Amino acid sequence: MPAITVDGLTKTYGQTLALDDLSFEVEEGEVFGFLGPNGAGKSTTINVLLDFVRPTAGRVEVLGLDAQTHSREIRSRTGVLPEGYRTYERLTARQHLEFAMDSKGVDDDPERLLERVDLADAIDKKAGGYSKGMAQRLMLAMALVGEPELLILDEPSTGLDPNGAREMREIVRQESERGATVFFSSHIMEQVEAVCDRVGILREGEMVAVDSVAGLRESVSDGTVLRVTVDRLDDDAIEAVRSLPDVSEATVESEAPPTLAVRVDGSKTDVLSALENQGLEVRDFSTSEASLEEVFQSYTTEVGAR
Amino acid sequence: MSTESESETGTGTADRGTTAPSSSINLESVRAVAKKDFQDSVRSWLFWGLSLFFFTLLVATTGVVSYFGEDIAAQGATTDVLVGFVSEITRLIIPLIALILGWKAIAGERESGSIKILLSLPHSRKDVLLGKLIGRSAVLSLSLTIGFVLAAAVVAVLLGGFDVADYVGLLLVSIVYGIAYTSIAVSLSSLTRSTTIAGAAMFGVFILFYVVWNALTSVASLLADRGVPFFETISYTTEMQGQEVELERLPDWVYFVVNLDPGEAYGRTLTLVTDTDMIELQAQLNEEMFGGELPFFLQDWFALLILVFWIVVPIAVALYRFDRVDL
Repeated sequence: MPAITVDGLTKTYGQTLALDDLSFEVEEGEVFGFLGPNGAGKSTTINVLLDFVRPTAGRVEVLGLDAQTHSREIRSRTGVLPEGYRTYERLTARQHLEFAMDSKGVDDDPERLLERVDLADAIDKKAGGYSKGMAQRLMLAMALVGEPELLILDEPSTGLDPNGAREMREIVRQESERGATVFFSSHIMEQVEAVCDRVGILREGEMVAVDSVAGLRESVSDGTVLRVTVDRLDDDAIEAVRSLPDVSEATVESEAPPTLAVRVDGSKTDVLSALENQGLEVRDFSTSEASLEEVFQSYTTEVGAR
Repeated sequence: MSTESESETGTGTADRGTTAPSSSINLESVRAVAKKDFQDSVRSWLFWGLSLFFFTLLVATTGVVSYFGEDIAAQGATTDVLVGFVSEITRLIIPLIALILGWKAIAGERESGSIKILLSLPHSRKDVLLGKLIGRSAVLSLSLTIGFVLAAAVVAVLLGGFDVADYVGLLLVSIVYGIAYTSIAVSLSSLTRSTTIAGAAMFGVFILFYVVWNALTSVASLLADRGVPFFETISYTTEMQGQEVELERLPDWVYFVVNLDPGEAYGRTLTLVTDTDMIELQAQLNEEMFGGELPFFLQDWFALLILVFWIVVPIAVALYRFDRVDL
């Protein structure tokens, strides 16, 4: 049974179409990265999962339960780190956690939870004096109350420094090992790369790709980029490389030193041989994979979209 | 009331039937929200500032009454005067405190986004509304109780004693009156995402009951003088200084509408729980206007019903509507 099923979800706000016939599934136990630029509809989707907003059309199930009619049951088994929240400035971290435990009817240890998110020394300080990062840690601790089956984290790295973001990913990994499903939204590709089993990319309310990180990378780059430095540039040689079956693209990257960038999906030695057969001397070469940022951009910008 | 036991659907697919357990009321949830809201708003400086203003006004007035009240005390009317004065103050101050305490209850949380914390947890929106109403009512009741006890202490020191039963009655009715205004405030607050609009609505309520409603009798009299249909006056006779005089009064329905004002209902309910002569004198005068017996809607028990109406109806409307909106 999938942890989350979104089927034909459409949401409009007046004239604005926020989500357009969105469908995807999140498997039980996986860490799913929900990626997209700001305004793509990530928060709207999460708001529907939690019944903060009602769908215009479509069906959403969480933990096998209808997200609208069984929202209370869903939320009792889910830990949520919402986006665009504000903590209760007059209450301490301990009081926030006690409220979450009270609400879920579970027993947990506020100190242990705050130690996990590295906020234990602020346990009796009022949240009004917290920095954005501290508030984010507190919210993560609240989400962890009662070992939920599902964690929904909306932009969890907001306000965290690189070290905090790393700690947050470590917690995601621990929760995943415990058996929890994690649904994790972000607008930064590299943050989902390290922890996510699968990634879905949302653009303008539509899911444009769902795959593993490796799969996404492959689908975008059509292989790797081979950079070859030669002794001189020759149009015939470039034509010869372009005509190779595994090469999708060959361009001059620089004149001095003369360097070619070749996008190749198969044998790299074929490229090198072709150049040498044209009488060029290969002085150096290197390969690089498409960066994740390229992958993300190719899916979320109009030009690269497929 | 709690109905969350049907969660196991067995088949593993969601039950998309007509039952909507998500919008049910769970008393444990209401309690958790109320407790959190109490903890939160009881720490508000604005609230305590207002309360302090209220305490000062109350204690100063009762102090003055008590100080100059030795003659009254001799006549055994101290408590009457005390209740009379205190209720005049509370009638105006309680709505102010309640409206200011409640205006951000929901709108503020929606505007800032902290409602996402509340509703990420397994509470229904109805739980949130009821919890807020209970939490804020508890805070207001705490403030009123402190104020009344302080005022009582001053009176006790200056006069040596007063009728505790009457005074406790005044406190209890004041709390009911406060809850009515809290219900109005929390409910209006749930109708909008903007604290500015919510604030304007609170101001509107205050103007409605303190300006518009107070002007109703005069406006109705004016219309009656001009013979506007439905405003025709009714004559009655009364005794004044030994002489029978014929007077005119407005039609019944005008009295009914005027009495819907929570403040008016507050005053009338007080006669139900205290035996204050000052207020009863007023009631007698009214009886003569209606030929010896007051119509049901001017009787004291009905005033209590009106207060209950102002608690129940606003929150009922909010409970219905808040379940249906996007946050």
